[in-house]
Amino acid sequence: MKLALRHGFVLLMCVFALVPILFVVSAAINPLGTLASTDLVPHGASLGNFADLFSNDRYPFARWFLNSVFIALAASFASLLLSMMAAYAFSRMRFRGRRVGLLALLLIQMFPQFLAIVTIFMIFTRVTELYPAIGFDTVWGLLLLYLGGALGANTWLMKGFLDTVPKELDEAATVDGATHAQIFWRVILPLVTPILAVTGLLAFIGIMSEFIMASVFLRDPESKTLAVGMFGMIAGDQRNANFGMFAAGTLITAIPTVGVFLWLQKFIVSGLTAGAVKG
Amino acid sequence: MRKRAMGAAAHLAALSALAVAVTACGGGGDKAAPSAAPTGSSGATAPAAQGGKLVIWADPNRVKALKPFAEQFGTDNGVTVEVKEISKDNQQVFLTASQQGSGPDIMVGAHDWIGNLVQNGAIDPVNLTEEQKAAFPEIAMKAVTFNGQVYAAPYAVENIALIRNTDLAPDAPATIEDLVAKGKALKEAGKVKEVLCLPVAQKGDAFHVYPIFASGGGALFGATSTGDPDPKKVLVGSADSVKAFDRLKELGEKGEGALKTSITNENYIATFAAKKCAFLISGPWAMGDVKKGGFPYDITPVPSFKGGKPATPFVGVQSFFVAAKGKNKALAQEFVANYVTNKDVAKALYAADPRPPALTAALQEVQAADADAGKFMEAGKNGFPMPAIPEMAAIWEPFGIAEAAVVKGGDPAKSAEAAQKAIDSSIKN
Amino acid sequence: MAHDAHAAADTRRGPRPRREVTTAFVVSRVAVLAVAAALLLYAAPPLVADGSWVSLTLLCAASAGIAYLYLTRRFVPAKYLIPGTVCLLAFQVFPVLYTVSTAFTNFGDGHRGDKQAAVSAIETGSVRQAPGSPEYALTAALRDGELVFLLVDPKTKQVQAGSGQGLAPVTGAQVGVTGKVLRAPGFTVLKAPEAAARGQEISKLAVPTSGGVIKANGLSRAVEGRAALVYDAACDCVNGEGGPWKADEARGYFVNARGDHLAQGWQVNVGFGNFTRVLTDPTISGYFLGVFGWNLVFALASAGGTFVLGMAVALALHHPRMRGTKIYRIALILPYAMPSFAMLLVWRDMFNRDFGLINQLFGTNVDWLGQSGTARAAVILVNLWLGFPYMFLVTTGALQAIPRELTEAASIDGASPWYGFRKVTLPLLLVALTPLLISSFAFNFNNFNAIQLTSEGGPFPAESPQVGATDLLITYTFRLAFGAGGAQFGFAAAISVFIFALVAVISAVAFRRTRKQEEVYA
Repeated sequence: MKLALRHGFVLLMCVFALVPILFVVSAAINPLGTLASTDLVPHGASLGNFADLFSNDRYPFARWFLNSVFIALAASFASLLLSMMAAYAFSRMRFRGRRVGLLALLLIQMFPQFLAIVTIFMIFTRVTELYPAIGFDTVWGLLLLYLGGALGANTWLMKGFLDTVPKELDEAATVDGATHAQIFWRVILPLVTPILAVTGLLAFIGIMSEFIMASVFLRDPESKTLAVGMFGMIAGDQRNANFGMFAAGTLITAIPTVGVFLWLQKFIVSGLTAGAVKG
Repeated sequence: MRKRAMGAAAHLAALSALAVAVTACGGGGDKAAPSAAPTGSSGATAPAAQGGKLVIWADPNRVKALKPFAEQFGTDNGVTVEVKEISKDNQQVFLTASQQGSGPDIMVGAHDWIGNLVQNGAIDPVNLTEEQKAAFPEIAMKAVTFNGQVYAAPYAVENIALIRNTDLAPDAPATIEDLVAKGKALKEAGKVKEVLCLPVAQKGDAFHVYPIFASGGGALFGATSTGDPDPKKVLVGSADSVKAFDRLKELGEKGEGALKTSITNENYIATFAAKKCAFLISGPWAMGDVKKGGFPYDITPVPSFKGGKPATPFVGVQSFFVAAKGKNKALAQEFVANYVTNKDVAKALYAADPRPPALTAALQEVQAADADAGKFMEAGKNGFPMPAIPEMAAIWEPFGIAEAAVVKGGDPAKSAEAAQKAIDSSIKN
Repeated sequence: MAHDAHAAADTRRGPRPRREVTTAFVVSRVAVLAVAAALLLYAAPPLVADGSWVSLTLLCAASAGIAYLYLTRRFVPAKYLIPGTVCLLAFQVFPVLYTVSTAFTNFGDGHRGDKQAAVSAIETGSVRQAPGSPEYALTAALRDGELVFLLVDPKTKQVQAGSGQGLAPVTGAQVGVTGKVLRAPGFTVLKAPEAAARGQEISKLAVPTSGGVIKANGLSRAVEGRAALVYDAACDCVNGEGGPWKADEARGYFVNARGDHLAQGWQVNVGFGNFTRVLTDPTISGYFLGVFGWNLVFALASAGGTFVLGMAVALALHHPRMRGTKIYRIALILPYAMPSFAMLLVWRDMFNRDFGLINQLFGTNVDWLGQSGTARAAVILVNLWLGFPYMFLVTTGALQAIPRELTEAASIDGASPWYGFRKVTLPLLLVALTPLLISSFAFNFNNFNAIQLTSEGGPFPAESPQVGATDLLITYTFRLAFGAGGAQFGFAAAISVFIFALVAVISAVAFRRTRKQEEVYA
């Protein structure tokens, strides 16, 4: 009975979550794919828009897809590592400037970053002259740039989580003669798998949909990411012409995210912590 | 098992250190930037030694079409030509990149950028011979001329026109009144759902409504002695413009129902293509979808009010600019002035994105295969080149809001006055 | 990552931790030295070639710093913080500092570069072709290794050589059909690729004539022109058409006696001008309170609403006997997995009165985005949709951290589930999530896209086209800053500073509360 109530509520939320997406699905399988169709049920269904995506010569969609997945995996992995390390320091160590550092981390995110593009050009114009390998038009430069945002909210999320992991665990390890590095890699990391998985997923999604930086960084049609390429598809007055393909692309964009989620799901809900606390 | 774990750990440590290392040089680079500024000229000469490279920036729709010609130009001149794609805020990205020294040699964009690009010193004039100028229609040359200088080579001219479904409306309406009457008759007969497909949206759309506004006697700017728009004389709130807004109100939701805020940029073409309205006011970019609709259509100039002024559409000219801070200006000038003014380039760009070519000779050839191009050109013959002065940026939004307000039934005098005030205050700053 | 962590966890129970220390120790130290050396080897040569000694010094210091930091046993927190912090400084802090510094300038369209750049743009832009002068066909050539222009007058076919010294007639030159010189005695004609390689030299060469100068126009034509405007350093003014134009260092423009200015300006320091403008501009101060109030409502409703929804779903699924959680979870994160700009546009169209899905589904005829109340409800609803999966994921993760024993203990004590939630689960969740709630509040306070891509700030009352019902502080002030004549970055930066101050104060107050919580639960 109470379980039924839970199902009812969750189902309702699923409907809320899915209705706009069904609308996109409808546009994607509508041969005259436009935003204008008023109904969820499309007039005539075909997979033409999906086929167009992979076969047209104007938009190398498959390449975009691979680029995005690669960049998102690499950047989210690296930023996960950076923010986890910072969170460990903030949660477990006491040092001068800790409180200020934490506050600064929170506040820096609040500053409107509209001029970031100008500074990105300042920095990377110089970097491109000196080190073309990590300059404009390279994936590495973009990855580097994404690491700048690594500490942001992720550190807070993980620090908050680490704070709930009992300190006695690492104290016990210290008594056993473990160094801080060993505690980090062997005690802490295994304990926080759920939040690592969540943060990793959030970082992955964030980078998959980032396109402001990516659009100034990657200017070859073949090197673009999904978000940039798809934005270009409906830019300006092309909005209508490509909407069917665009809708199909939007749906495909969600596939890697769902894939990563499926892979990480078992870590998120594995309840590893409970066992560890007992041990 | 243990070994593997340790290997992984060491590997991760190394990776993270590498991350630091790499970011450290990123940080070092930016700190170095100011100190390097005075010796900037040495940086500029470096690429020449590599044997010339020409970088072109374009929007995603044109990159594919430009590539073969760019490569051909590269082979002819022994240089490498790169065509890069910018998909967002092209004008601002170009300005920022140019300023910082990462910009292209050639930029592709719309002629109404010229005022802003010039005030930022981002583009150089393009010197066309009399013969080259004569190969373009007068309106295209007028559009790319700013302060008496030609700042770009035009390659496509675009303007809006009236596109009608000839199954539903066999005859071209002579006046706006005829158009509305026919549209309403069709709607009452249940043949269509909307009288006219013209985007208004919640925020108005100055570009699409301008011909009707102009026909009602409205104006945006007064003219300088040379006939250019004068930013010191904004006429949006003038008595004539109020009358024009009143005409828009009559056509609006509380009047004839021809103009509606629910018709937007996203749905107006699709609604027409789905045969839900007989008349569409749009440009060459709509034709792909219109053709998908699979019905006969015709393209005619936007009609004017009975006894009103001519319904002049805005004319936009797609152009090539030479970047003032480009690293290879001689090549860029060569490409823009002497290469893209060539008929074949214009035709290829047309094939990639069917907007009527600016070159008269190319247009004539294109017209033979596709009558639409000529009809659009005809509809824009008496058009009004979109003002390129930077102050035009202050017009769009207040004007659009006033338009949406009167379409919803608001008071024309108040709306026009408020728009005038908003425009004046933002131009003053 | 997670897999490595598992592996690492297994080894924790290994018998002899001491020996492992040494191996790991050696490996990691070698790795650090190797990386520092590799960095130096990779990064140093370009800096040496460029002569950037300051950067080189910094680089060496950075390498040495890294080596020292990871070799020593001291500064343990720094070992963990430095990697992320360096990136943060370069790509987040530096942009913020730069933005703040521009708030004191007139940086923006028309004032992007320095005065020198403006002068050169003014002069180049004013060059007019000398009346009646021929449009020469140009051939680049070398005479004794020096670049010269071979100029052919298309009408008379006369050939001249132009150099920095001026024009001189050339005899015996052979001219091709295109008008280019094929051969000329005493000159080495450059082929197209050779000429292209010397592009910069060709652009620079100016051949003085009586009427002005002849400059190359591309690689195959040259034109005689004269600058109508010329800068004179002696009077710090530009002479010529409509002039003299005096430099006005307060505005960054060349101004003439009538008060007009030349289009090209330069960046100057304006002190607190932008800040006073924010405070005194009647369009800002007149609407500030109303917009600020709505802005607060929007940010609180977005942050709070997404949290409540996300947490409610996470709790509903957090039950041992709950079935189908995998499917549910996928459905629930989908809104977050779609590109948000695309979905914002989709939502906007769903709210369309005549064509939108919402009126269609409910059989209504409401102009959702056309009336203040419904438009505000609509943008909040859209933002909830976009944001709740994030909170759902985060809460799901955080729920795993709460030992089941605690919640079970509460229920064994006979407390109602609601009581258990309020006294046990929620406080523990808030320890981890309060900072996220604060940053979500701050993010939504400045959520430019959520408004710009849906209601665009509208609906606007006809009498005041500058402020709409759903406008946030950032959307309407930026409309002022980017509205007329291009972008006014300096002004926008000053606005940002004010908005930041507002958000930071609100957040810092909320943040102080977390200190107490941390002490209680950590």
